[in-house]
Amino acid sequence: MKKILTIEGCSPHAVKKALLIMKLTSILMLVATLQVSARVSGQGKVSLKLNQVEISKALHSIEGQGTYRFLYNSRLEAVSHKVNIDVANSPIGEVLNKLFAGTDLTYKLLENNLIVVVSSTLAVQDIRITGKVTSSAGDVIQGVSVTVKGTTIGTTTDNDGNFALTVPQTGTLVFSSIGFVTHEQPITDSAVVNVTLVASNKLLDQVVVVGYGTQRRSDLTGSIGTVKGADISKQQVLTATQAIQGKVAGVQVISSGDPNSNPTVRIRGVGTTLGGASPLFVVDGVITDDIRNINSADILSIDVLKDASSTAIYGVRAANGVLLITTKKGKRGKPVVAYDGSVGAKEISKLVNMAGPKQYANYINEGNIYYGTGDSVITDAMLAAGGNTDWFDAITKRSLIQNHNVSVSGGSDNADYFLSAGYITDGGIIQTNAFKRFTIRSNNDYRIANNFKVSTLVSYSRTNFRNVDVNNFNLAYRAAPYIQSKVGKLYGNTSLANNVGNPLLSLDQVSTANVDNRLQATVVAEYKPVSWITLHTSLGTDLDFLNTTDYDYQFLNSGPANVFLTAGGNQYVQQSTLALTKNNFTRWLWDNTVTFAKTFDKHNFTLLAGTTAETYTINNFVGTVKNVPPSPDLRFLDQGTPSTAIVTNGGDKYTRNSYLGRLNYNFDQRYYLTASIRADAASKFPSYNRWGYFPSVALAWNLAHESFFSSLNKTFDQLKIRGSWGEVGNDNIPSNAYTPLATINVPYFFNGTQYNGISFDAAADKNLKWETSKEYDLGIDFAILHNRLNGTIDLYNKKTTDALIFVNFTGIYLGDVDNQYLTNAASFRNKGVEVSLNWADNIDNNWRYSIGGNIAFNQNRVIGLNGGQALYDGNLNGYFVTKTDNGQPIGSYFLRQFDGIFQNAAQIANSAQKNAQVGDIRYKDISGPNGKPDGVIDDFDRAFSGSYQPKYTYGITGSVSYKTFDLSFNTYGTHGGKIYNGKKQLTGSDPYDNIETKVATGRWTVNNPSNSIPRATLGTLPASTYFLESGSFFRINNITLGYTFPKPFLTKAKFQNLRVFVTTQNPFTFTKYSGFTPELAPPINATVNAPSTTNAGIEQAIYPSTRSLSGGINFSF
Amino acid sequence: MKNYKQLSIATVGVLLTIAGCQKKFLDVNPQGKETQVNALTDTAAASQTLAGAYNALYFGGFDKTTVGFEWVMMTDVASDDADKGSTPDDFGTNGAGDIDNFTVNANNGIVQNVWNGHYVGIARANQAIDIITKNTALDQTTRNRLLGEARFLRGLFYFDLVRAFGGVVKVTRVPQPSEVSSDEFNIRASVDTIYNVIISDFQFAADNLPLKGDASTAVGRANKGAAESYLAKVYLYQKNWQKAFDLTGDVINSGLYSLVPDYKYIFRESQVNGEGGNNNPESIFEVQTGQNTTSNGISPLFSNGQGPRGKGGWNDLGFGFNDPTVDLANAYEPGDTRNSATIIYIQPTGGLNIGTILWDGFRIPTQDSVQNERYSYKAYHSPIAETPAIDGNKDNKPKNIRLMRYAEVLLIHAEAAAMLGNADATTYLNMVRARANLGPSTGTQANIWKERRVELAMEQDRFFDLVRQGRAGTVMRAAGKNFVDNKNEVFPIPQSIIDLSNGRLKQNNGY
Repeated sequence: MKKILTIEGCSPHAVKKALLIMKLTSILMLVATLQVSARVSGQGKVSLKLNQVEISKALHSIEGQGTYRFLYNSRLEAVSHKVNIDVANSPIGEVLNKLFAGTDLTYKLLENNLIVVVSSTLAVQDIRITGKVTSSAGDVIQGVSVTVKGTTIGTTTDNDGNFALTVPQTGTLVFSSIGFVTHEQPITDSAVVNVTLVASNKLLDQVVVVGYGTQRRSDLTGSIGTVKGADISKQQVLTATQAIQGKVAGVQVISSGDPNSNPTVRIRGVGTTLGGASPLFVVDGVITDDIRNINSADILSIDVLKDASSTAIYGVRAANGVLLITTKKGKRGKPVVAYDGSVGAKEISKLVNMAGPKQYANYINEGNIYYGTGDSVITDAMLAAGGNTDWFDAITKRSLIQNHNVSVSGGSDNADYFLSAGYITDGGIIQTNAFKRFTIRSNNDYRIANNFKVSTLVSYSRTNFRNVDVNNFNLAYRAAPYIQSKVGKLYGNTSLANNVGNPLLSLDQVSTANVDNRLQATVVAEYKPVSWITLHTSLGTDLDFLNTTDYDYQFLNSGPANVFLTAGGNQYVQQSTLALTKNNFTRWLWDNTVTFAKTFDKHNFTLLAGTTAETYTINNFVGTVKNVPPSPDLRFLDQGTPSTAIVTNGGDKYTRNSYLGRLNYNFDQRYYLTASIRADAASKFPSYNRWGYFPSVALAWNLAHESFFSSLNKTFDQLKIRGSWGEVGNDNIPSNAYTPLATINVPYFFNGTQYNGISFDAAADKNLKWETSKEYDLGIDFAILHNRLNGTIDLYNKKTTDALIFVNFTGIYLGDVDNQYLTNAASFRNKGVEVSLNWADNIDNNWRYSIGGNIAFNQNRVIGLNGGQALYDGNLNGYFVTKTDNGQPIGSYFLRQFDGIFQNAAQIANSAQKNAQVGDIRYKDISGPNGKPDGVIDDFDRAFSGSYQPKYTYGITGSVSYKTFDLSFNTYGTHGGKIYNGKKQLTGSDPYDNIETKVATGRWTVNNPSNSIPRATLGTLPASTYFLESGSFFRINNITLGYTFPKPFLTKAKFQNLRVFVTTQNPFTFTKYSGFTPELAPPINATVNAPSTTNAGIEQAIYPSTRSLSGGINFSF
Repeated sequence: MKNYKQLSIATVGVLLTIAGCQKKFLDVNPQGKETQVNALTDTAAASQTLAGAYNALYFGGFDKTTVGFEWVMMTDVASDDADKGSTPDDFGTNGAGDIDNFTVNANNGIVQNVWNGHYVGIARANQAIDIITKNTALDQTTRNRLLGEARFLRGLFYFDLVRAFGGVVKVTRVPQPSEVSSDEFNIRASVDTIYNVIISDFQFAADNLPLKGDASTAVGRANKGAAESYLAKVYLYQKNWQKAFDLTGDVINSGLYSLVPDYKYIFRESQVNGEGGNNNPESIFEVQTGQNTTSNGISPLFSNGQGPRGKGGWNDLGFGFNDPTVDLANAYEPGDTRNSATIIYIQPTGGLNIGTILWDGFRIPTQDSVQNERYSYKAYHSPIAETPAIDGNKDNKPKNIRLMRYAEVLLIHAEAAAMLGNADATTYLNMVRARANLGPSTGTQANIWKERRVELAMEQDRFFDLVRQGRAGTVMRAAGKNFVDNKNEVFPIPQSIIDLSNGRLKQNNGY
């Protein structure tokens, strides 16, 4: 980051840009001022002719004409000035301007033609009031706006909550602050006014974190969802994103049971095929794309920016939405120590039943009659000599999960602190899996002066985990059930039975130890030269060091070192391999902003301008060597055979530099305007294509503050209509994709010695740029029935253009054998509706309850490939299962159509499958090379068959409390998505693979003429809708029952709070899907190192979802 | 107040300016990767991109190929020297089987891979030429030597293409991606145009490359002798006898090359009794291979694809493709030492037959355990006596491929002499015969053609030689192959390439 401080290489372009922003700022402020003076003009005309009279007399004579009344302090010196005036039938403004010329008097026209005359210099006659604003909890509140109602007089409280203001003797002080109920207090003679603000329960008064600032929810013009920390930490999940599942309309979270997995988040659908589709995460201002290091207990809130007007302030990063994570801070007061802990057990939530040995033998032997020699290939003798293995039992486990968090927080006059530590363990549900995470966080504020504050936010996390190869689930799915998993020290030899590895052995013989150390730190300085200007600078870093020690044990299938009950087969590892990986990820971010916040009469302005600079580097080192001894103490590269050593080292780096500006204006909290623009430059693009400009505009009308609204008041407590438009970008594409890069280590031997050459094998589009999304959003926020029911409805339409796609060219002549390059050609649309409703009420003092629900419909379509080619993906055994093409959702299934089972010869004779046998699958003959059914079933008979993307997602949350008992639940569901049961299609890769019980018992036989499951089959079946299933599901995500000890007890025991609880995560899932879980984490797209969008929804080898039951306690003192 | 305002605005201004002046901050070069732009000024990159072009000689396996496995499958298998081999079905339809039977069509994978591999090789050579030409740090001599090598390789790749497909797309520069859909790159150049490119490239190489053994070159690099030999072969194809004669004469008179006394040692990795081995005195141009941890310094499957294939029961030597025909076996005169050096004969089953003992002592069982009756000895790479692949993968045996031997130079010289009525024809023909332990013969064109077949058998020359000689149809049909005149002299242009050109690229006659 040092580099940022260098002034050399200063481009005139950048300076110009800076000046432009400053100019813009000045103009906006000027406009604001002009509007104020323009308003001062009365209706009535005045005639006046006076010589050498005191101004007070002159005013008196105007009052005498009947239209206007004046209010002024007679102690004002200037009112006794003598003036001459001669006006006839002139507007009051003109008259007063003449009258006051040469004095320090100014005036203001109020309602009912009341004119206030005041001195523009600070009139000693006014009262100087000082005071302090605190919350009902006793904390000082800074930044509270203190104004005199109906005037421009105002200030804000400093970091100690103090304010000082000179005010007229009469009037009303208005104290308002985000998150608190606005308080009005009449001015009295008292020179000290201390005020206590009550925290608002009303949703609309709550603080919402927006990019580079905060706002009151009622002032929002965009679509932003918020989840509070308490709702997150309550759930027994490892990553906070998993806990927001079902809580915010339009946010789809796909999590895996794998303890170290990073949940996939999709906001308002999928807007890209080959770029990254994950949202941007911003933790206390520091951008990141992975929040697995954040302890849920430290989170104060997560705000989800959904529409383009909210996200546009993040410009080129924002196309997939933004999640803002705010962590907790200390509050002034004596130290509070809090502990929150739980211990529980976790298990696989659903297993697939596989055929037992007898069912298996029966099926395979029958298959061998149809497809093979007709002999019993699985003989009784084999069954008798073998065992009865449930392979899933063999490789899964129950594990202990625990979670402990302890924090100390407090504050004094000059500093607030929050220190927390967390420890979490989760053994997962697969043998050898393990996960432990330790986190520590320190968030401190230092008030150096009452207008200068420095904050530090530091978090460190250390994660130790042993991950497992999920492919073992696939092996377990296929392994023959009569083979024993393990007897004593020897393993059953599945590779002899049906050519799959023994999954238990392959789990045991691989040791992957990962240690991830991550440090996130931000230092923020905030300076307020005057009450309405805030200068803010923040320097943040995210350092991630991930080290992996991967050891594959040597094990043999014959001889003295044989590990099998029966020697032979092809599962063995001749030489042990050690692979050490060291990944360093470093991000530096420097933000500078200035915020002007000023109220002129009823005009409220907040203007933000700023710059950001970011550097991200990756350095990754991999060393592998063979023949390292098995002792864990010898896992060093030196211990292997030197001639087998391979070292690779690669890296990446990119930088961004941005300018941003945003105006929030509202008139009388009735009419709102938000306009923002961000200019982004990213090193990922060539210099001539580097700058992107991302504007947005939003308007809102808060009907609740209209005078006519009082008539509606019986129905509506709140009502706001908003509309927005914005443009955002997606630069989640590989760095340097625009330039042809050398493939290195392209060897040739000269003089018998290897010489490493280079070659340029991949053509690149030199004009590559970011993907752009334009989004419209129309929303309504309301509260009715005395604020018991509040809700939000949003309609949106988001169009992504310039999306990356492969376009063909005759490019062998460029050295690129793929004949294609990545370019900006495709376009997609996501449109949808989001509704969320929340009801909260008290039945009586003991019974309280709330229930909330949200639902989001999204329609995703490819609307143009623009010369690009349809993308096929999801290759299973040579069959591509998905096709992303015009007019279809991204990643749509493109499959042969299952049309039942042939029941008799006549059906076969009338079909396109003349060679089929009774009991085989019948496919629809849809088309042929000439576009007509051709009596042949082949690739021409594939058709679009839905996609993995749900048509809608929904969640219901609820809580009931009785006295100090509390019960809460939350749920999540998706509907309309499809899952392709890929593992089922791949069964039969070896003819003797095991089958599911349902297939074994429900298959077509002469006596069981099934029309849904074909006869016993040896080998795989082609990809078709036979393997396509509904992916809809509804799940209870969490149920928690708690008991808080009553106050008298706590006081006696010197506790502030003491609560015990039991909680269960994912206890029930309702789904028709036959596989391990309907919630499929998509595979990783290697190009962007992010979850793929074109082949998600294929269950092949996945980590199943889990459920857990825990009990815990939280207390503070 | 006013002062504060000014102060704050000034501060903001400073901050904006500091963060704003960062053009350099945004100029981030790819990390750990050379760009094409940088390569133009990087001295090392000139040599490295050239090595990248040499690396194209490794293309093989079942992927894009230049002189690797599928090139062997296309040329030898098409000729009367070899059959597809392996099991009857293996690699039959749309593979080498259709090549063997002359039922090849435009969707054939081999044809596609040969086209792709050669054009990738040409693109790499063009990139190297571009970078070497534009690089200002190189002195003129070095630049010309590097250019000579790159153009030699390009000439070599085009010579393969023009013989395999006839007139092809002419690409002699690095096009922009936006250009490649233009007519220039989607319309076939004439055979003559391509030959002009080849001649110009080889001539430049011959003029600028050092002689073998010069301090400025290294074993494995193209040198003057290689360029002259290839140029002579091109002129042989052009029937420009005088030039072929002169160029081969130049190579012969350089005194830098000689025949390996014992034919069978030519194809060994190491010398035997001081003879043969890789880069022996007879070698003029040879694909250099070697052992490295990533096993990418080899032509995949070149040896293993042609290795003897078992029917089970023994750790066999390969896939069993490209099997010498009886016709070839019968072409050898009695006593010709080249017969047993070219063909591995699998012994029949029965009696006391213990099978075939190879030169390294490896015993191949009898025919009941072996798929085919004959295999190429020239592609054999011993699993016990020669360097294995470091990863133990048999497909990656580091077998050098002999592309141009002095024996061929002698035969070109002899044929050119014969056509020019020069008595040298007999002299040089008999040099080759004598080495094979055969008595003298007369230097007629027919005798020289006959000699070429047995001398260069299984070295990917026979098919094109027959076409050049204008008797491919006659000979092939006599050998029982379904060769169609005016069609099978060349292979079909891959359909995918025609499709990508939107039909502007025209198919060869008869396909």
